[in-house]
Amino acid sequence: MSRPAPAILPLGESALTIAIGDRVDPGLNAWTRAIRDAIDRASLPGVREVIAAYATVTVFYDPLAADTGHLASALGEIARGVEPPPAAAPTRLHRVPVRYDGQDLEAVAGRTGLSVQEVIARHAERTYTVYCLGFVPGFAYLGELDAALALPRREAPRRRVPAGSVAIAGRQTGVYPYETPGGWHLLGHTDLVAFDPAREPPALFAPGDAVRFEPVA
Amino acid sequence: MITVRQAPAYLAVQDLGWPVGRGLGLPPGGAMDRSALQTANLLLGNAAGAAALEWAIGAGTLAFEAPTRLALAGAGGDARLGGSDAPPFTVLEARAGDELRVERLRSGAWLYVCLCGGVSVPPILGSRSTLLTAGFGGHGGRLLRDDDRLPTGRVPDRAPAPGLALPAELRPADEGPIRILAGPQRARFPDSAWDALLAGEYRIAAGSRMGYRLDGPPLAVPGLGDLPSEAAVPGAVQVPPDGLPIALMPDGPTIGGYAKLAVVLAEDVDRLAQRVPGAPVRFEALTLGEAHAHLRAARARLEALTTWVERARR
Repeated sequence: MSRPAPAILPLGESALTIAIGDRVDPGLNAWTRAIRDAIDRASLPGVREVIAAYATVTVFYDPLAADTGHLASALGEIARGVEPPPAAAPTRLHRVPVRYDGQDLEAVAGRTGLSVQEVIARHAERTYTVYCLGFVPGFAYLGELDAALALPRREAPRRRVPAGSVAIAGRQTGVYPYETPGGWHLLGHTDLVAFDPAREPPALFAPGDAVRFEPVA
Repeated sequence: MITVRQAPAYLAVQDLGWPVGRGLGLPPGGAMDRSALQTANLLLGNAAGAAALEWAIGAGTLAFEAPTRLALAGAGGDARLGGSDAPPFTVLEARAGDELRVERLRSGAWLYVCLCGGVSVPPILGSRSTLLTAGFGGHGGRLLRDDDRLPTGRVPDRAPAPGLALPAELRPADEGPIRILAGPQRARFPDSAWDALLAGEYRIAAGSRMGYRLDGPPLAVPGLGDLPSEAAVPGAVQVPPDGLPIALMPDGPTIGGYAKLAVVLAEDVDRLAQRVPGAPVRFEALTLGEAHAHLRAARARLEALTTWVERARR
């Protein structure tokens, strides 16, 4: 089966972004990872790193070691040859203990029309997929959050979100590995360390992993 | 060994950061002005990416316990070593007990104090850079404070002699507009946004190691609400809903959801980084081919510099 070549656009002078799609979707995300893996396996000259986001793959390369036009055609060929993977069982399941005492828990309940207990139950009842890592080291974007909990980001981001905060925004949830500014709604806190440079691998979560949140007292 | 006698408000160990690691959410990090760091390192006979001290915001003093060769680059300031003027891009020699005093930075934002042998803190994931957002790397993952002591690495054989000054043509120059390429979402913006970015004069509103917020004509951002987050790079010019662009910097997010109208050339991220709040910024668009020609020229400059230092050492 032949598909049209995906759009490949420069992200600065030494990266190319391949657009697989433009929405948040678990199947599209799994396909994106499969394309990333196929590009990694091809070991193209000049390529430094290949990363997958929700629906894009970005290839970082040395433009003085690889001709950009040739690289782009090679990437297009590889991407076209990767079939969307069948829904596969995730390789790893992480159980994340959460104390549901976040600063926004009551506000989220108020805005969603749910009780605090329902907010917790709905957040903890799903098994999430790690779509990608980014923002800061080890931050995992997880989905898909129950639609009843979907809220836009906070109007004014907090200057400091405590490390270990478990938070939601849109149809996503995640764990803040570090104290950083942040605009997500804080539901609780975990003691798990999401990124430790002394650990191998340093990031607790990897794209494609499954994650469950388990309420603890 | 060097001692921080009086720390400026910002002083941290930085090298060229993490060349890979975006897949973990690890930003490139490292020096805000990479060409300044590389130039001063090569002048000292160091590897271009040897770790150095990155200095910003205000006065400070470093003390040298043993004779140490060093070079300054980046922001210009009133710098004195052992009571004498300490010019930039010049091999300086601190005698045992000498102090390097910088009163204030007059031009630019980031000053580099490069030391013969480099700053030898333990590398984390392959870099000695300080990642303040995550609290690791450099010296304990934090800014340097008064009385901190830092070891220097092995001094290269035949280190260049004190007094050796780099000719002007081998120093990084800050001339002309900041050069950009169209960003991956350029086609989703109306042409008026692109035209306004190129025609308008922007000013640095606020800056950090994560990004510089620009002030100027707001840019139109129609229909871009729910873009799923995708890879970002230092130099990416993101346009949030208020239309005022943000240029990402080395510690910025590796993945971002705001549309990227443009991306600043890597070489010009260095120049942009040196602009202080209030400083004007103008942009000029290049083609990808032109950007690669500039990258080639920038690498050729570093090679010419290495050759020049080799000759000067003979």
